[in-house]
Amino acid sequence: MRNSRRLIRSSLALAWAAVIAVPGLALAQDVSAAERARVEAEQRAQAIERNARENARQLTLLDKQGKVVATVGQRGLYNQPVLSPDITRVAVIKADPVKETNDLWVVDLASGRETQISTSKSREPVQAPAWSPDAKYIAYVGLRGSRYGIYRKLSTGAGDEELIYQHLGGPIVLTDWSLDGKVLSFYASDLSGSTLYLVPVEGDRKPIEVTHSESQVVAARLSPDGRWLAYRSNEKDNRDQIFVRAVPAPGASKDAPVGKWQVSTEGGEGMVWWRRDGTELYYFGPQRGVMAVEVRAGQDFEFSKPRLLFRAPPSVPATGNPGAFGSVSRDGERIVFVVPPSQPLRQLTLFDRTGKVLSKVGDPGIYNQPSLSPDGSKIAVMRLDQQTDLTDIWTYDVASGRGTAVTATREGENAPIWLPDSQGVAYVSARNNANAASIYRKAISGQGTEEQLFRYTPGAGMVLTDFSADGKFLTFDGGGIILVVPLTGTDPLKRQGVDFARSEYEAGLGRFSPDGKFIAYGSNETGRFEVFVRPFDAAAASAAGEQKWKISSDGAMGGITWSRDGRELYYLSEDRPASEVKVMAVEIKASPSFEAAAPKVLFRLKGPLPGNPGQWKISPDGQRFVFAMPVETPGTK
Amino acid sequence: MRDRIAFALGFAVMLAAGASAHHNMSAMFDFNQRFTETGTLSKVDWRNPHIYLTVDAKNEQGQAVAWSFEGPPPVFFRTREFSREDFEKSLGKEITVEASRARDGSKAGLIRELKLADGRVISACPQNC
Repeated sequence: MRNSRRLIRSSLALAWAAVIAVPGLALAQDVSAAERARVEAEQRAQAIERNARENARQLTLLDKQGKVVATVGQRGLYNQPVLSPDITRVAVIKADPVKETNDLWVVDLASGRETQISTSKSREPVQAPAWSPDAKYIAYVGLRGSRYGIYRKLSTGAGDEELIYQHLGGPIVLTDWSLDGKVLSFYASDLSGSTLYLVPVEGDRKPIEVTHSESQVVAARLSPDGRWLAYRSNEKDNRDQIFVRAVPAPGASKDAPVGKWQVSTEGGEGMVWWRRDGTELYYFGPQRGVMAVEVRAGQDFEFSKPRLLFRAPPSVPATGNPGAFGSVSRDGERIVFVVPPSQPLRQLTLFDRTGKVLSKVGDPGIYNQPSLSPDGSKIAVMRLDQQTDLTDIWTYDVASGRGTAVTATREGENAPIWLPDSQGVAYVSARNNANAASIYRKAISGQGTEEQLFRYTPGAGMVLTDFSADGKFLTFDGGGIILVVPLTGTDPLKRQGVDFARSEYEAGLGRFSPDGKFIAYGSNETGRFEVFVRPFDAAAASAAGEQKWKISSDGAMGGITWSRDGRELYYLSEDRPASEVKVMAVEIKASPSFEAAAPKVLFRLKGPLPGNPGQWKISPDGQRFVFAMPVETPGTK
Repeated sequence: MRDRIAFALGFAVMLAAGASAHHNMSAMFDFNQRFTETGTLSKVDWRNPHIYLTVDAKNEQGQAVAWSFEGPPPVFFRTREFSREDFEKSLGKEITVEASRARDGSKAGLIRELKLADGRVISACPQNC
């Protein structure tokens, strides 16, 4: 009833309203700390619910041919499953997003019964479990206070956790427990490279540096006889591959040559496991391939060409860190995965202003962030290739539905934004495994080379949100702040971002008004996310003064878009009780002074919308709206 | 990185996005060089994407040294029920900061844990550890 009243009220509110025009600080003070905390808690609960719905994973046991032997227990937020040596139990990390804990659990494969092993405080996560050879103990890395340590605990869950080693530096990754039960291996990485250590389980427990690599190595794991180290690295051609290197004998000179072999041939994505007898090793290859390599280790390391055992379930990520989703048993006969839910396919769909479906464009796929070109003839969108797990930018012709790849790279691209002339798209990517994300632009034909427009601070995340209509500025989100980049000069590396919105509250999703005099954006400065407009000073590339207008009235989830003539602003709002997304419109009058009418609902979509609808530019003209709709739940209400 | 760079999900999770790193922490700070400073909190810069605290301490020679400590964004503290006001109440008072040292040798550090003047301890982990 309450929502119905709101709808009627906002639909009837046609009169121009002089809305809030006060400095942000005063605005923020209007909301009590208690109210802010309540709203933030509500938003957090929603995010948790969504996370659980989209990411709860099923423990699944497969044989060496990829046949499912068993699915175990209920779905949960599982990670890093490791089979016990006798393949009767799985040690697995389970997240509790409400308590903000990540703890170690043991799941019995026959009964599905779960036993909690570690009991951590909030935000003191546990990771990287390793079974003792007799399965009596499980070791793991735990953050306790501000220090990482390697702990062990009885695999029954009884007793207290026992600290084996405390690391005073950054994060460490425990990879294995030796077959004789005497040592644990772990590695640590920093700018100087990666170092593998062994730490005795008993005695003085002082770690011994086994080997150091100047390149970053991942998932380093010793062979059962301790002579070889298998790991993933991008040390060659910037492409991840699996390598094996000899472990130097104790006391050997650091300058002594060390044998090293590239084992994978087509790329290696993840964790390496050795069979107990050392005659075979396994790793994740491209396109979810579980690969096996026969090993003949005499004086030298000899190995066979990798062979594909099977492909992991399609919802397991193919890139990133697939090792977090599965592992191989000590005998090489069983593989356990935590299998995420499949992503629903989506259909690019155009709606009219009343919510009526006008057309469906292209075939169903995993699309994200669709936007119509300024001339309305094409849709730019992020498209995920489910085989490779890579995202590229595509355009689709609205009339014919024909798709064209604008990019096709291993790095992947995101946040596509149309250039004003509808002939090109700008997007974000990090090239050549660089740590810095950049903004590029490229012709929609996909032909020709891309042009780098701007490079952000190394290590920082960025979301490109808009290009000004005159092509002179772009704007992006940079970690709760909005920056504007004047596209001056010819050297993209000399261009600097200028603060448009930076405060203690989060701001983002900046969109230039068509005349370039304002930027609409989202901020939670009032206690929940709302849409605001501030004047933009092109000469300074920043906000013109402190004045701002609050546009939304009942919260917003993004989708901020100006109409081409600047007379309307659109955004998305969520009606959670009804599980609907409301497409909102606000009439705007920019002169002689800025005024915004009360928001009204144009139409409603069945929610939740998959992907990142908050970032979408939903309409160029207020007549056609584009969404990537779940295939299973199409339509409007 | 790949397809997961900067993949914000909209307003509802901009809180989380606000918690994302604004630069490469391990490039700027050496996580293996942990140190602790106790001094007077003289300035609080409480803005995204990172807060900064200025702490006036004394070196071994007894000379005044101003340390700049970088911390997570404000939302990190809000979700842990610490506000800007909680920090400002410590202005002019003694606080203790455990941090990772800046690689460039400047008097700067990345906060791992800190103790406010009222004795409350806040961990910046796991983000900064």
